[in-house]
Amino acid sequence: MEAPDEQLMLAYRDGDAGAFETLYRRHRGALYRFVLRGVKNRATAEELYQEIWIRVIEARARYKPQARFTTWLYTIAHNRMVDHWRKKEIAAIPLEENLSTSAVLNPARQAEGREALARLARAIDELPHVQREAFLLHEEGGLTISEIAVATGAGEEAAKSRLRYAMAKLKAAVDDG
Amino acid sequence: MAESEHDPKVSSRYRELGREEPPAEIDAAILAASRRAAEVHPAPLVAPSGRRRWYFPVAAAAIIVLAAAVTFHMDRERPEPDMPVAAAPEPVKTPGSKPSEVERKASRAEAPRRERGTDDARKPGAYGFAPEPPTQTAETQRPAPAPAPAARSEVRAARLMAQAESPERTLERIAELRRQGRHEEADQALKEFRKRYPDYKIPEAMLQKVEKK
Repeated sequence: MEAPDEQLMLAYRDGDAGAFETLYRRHRGALYRFVLRGVKNRATAEELYQEIWIRVIEARARYKPQARFTTWLYTIAHNRMVDHWRKKEIAAIPLEENLSTSAVLNPARQAEGREALARLARAIDELPHVQREAFLLHEEGGLTISEIAVATGAGEEAAKSRLRYAMAKLKAAVDDG
Repeated sequence: MAESEHDPKVSSRYRELGREEPPAEIDAAILAASRRAAEVHPAPLVAPSGRRRWYFPVAAAAIIVLAAAVTFHMDRERPEPDMPVAAAPEPVKTPGSKPSEVERKASRAEAPRRERGTDDARKPGAYGFAPEPPTQTAETQRPAPAPAPAARSEVRAARLMAQAESPERTLERIAELRRQGRHEEADQALKEFRKRYPDYKIPEAMLQKVEKK
């Protein structure tokens, strides 16, 4: 049985570097996609992604397993991305590439509904950033509504509303085909 | 989670979009940073538990004891500030007798006080608190003062001498001035004596010798 995240983080706090590596490998992909699809720029995403993990490392002494490690991790990620959005004034973020298009153009997936995936990718890009964030926290981080509320500092009702609106738009995009 | 906030079809389609992952060099950089950090244990923000629980109380107690000891030691070493020597019980003393223990202590106490310098010491003319108080030995080694103005020099010399002498000796010196007819100097010395030793009760016999008739 695998050690829970919280136990690994406590072990790392006490000096066990191997515990961090296990933890990192467990969450690296989801966190990376959360950041990448949140900022929609690969270079920026890579920079933010590193900074988030560095903050996790630096904050290890303050870590207390009062909530799920994932909630704590994505709270740090959210805060870092808010800083980024404030600096960039959100609207100025260029769409470097349609990240999902590359996936859609994968020949192996073309047969599975190229148009539907393209619509979904566009719909995610077009979501207001708070709704996109709520959706990504749910899909990538596996956070519940109350955990999304904690991670984003929003009320539970606001988090629920954001996720509901996001899901409705994305469902419409998927169903259109 | 309520059904309205979750849609399996959307989730399923979302998974098909791709599984981007961070580049290997970023993984390596983060893991290297984590290993470096693990080698440096940060100080705990919460009090240690278990066997290390007693560290903080013992350290705090040691600091308090040390501070108290230093303070107590300093208090013992510090001479009584501005305590008139004559306030001590007046010893019966004959001329030429050796100074009593009280006088010796007072004399020792006087020296560091003069070195420290007090507000009185900075007042010109303050009796017995001149900046460079000589001991008897120092006085004998010092070159003779300039002859003029003679009266002022003698008054100053009297003050300097008074710093190192007992009240009884000062009174004897005033009496001597009186005998020599140097009443002005005797009056000034007596005035300064009373200023310095307000509680000193001059014996009747001595009073007749030092006061102007």
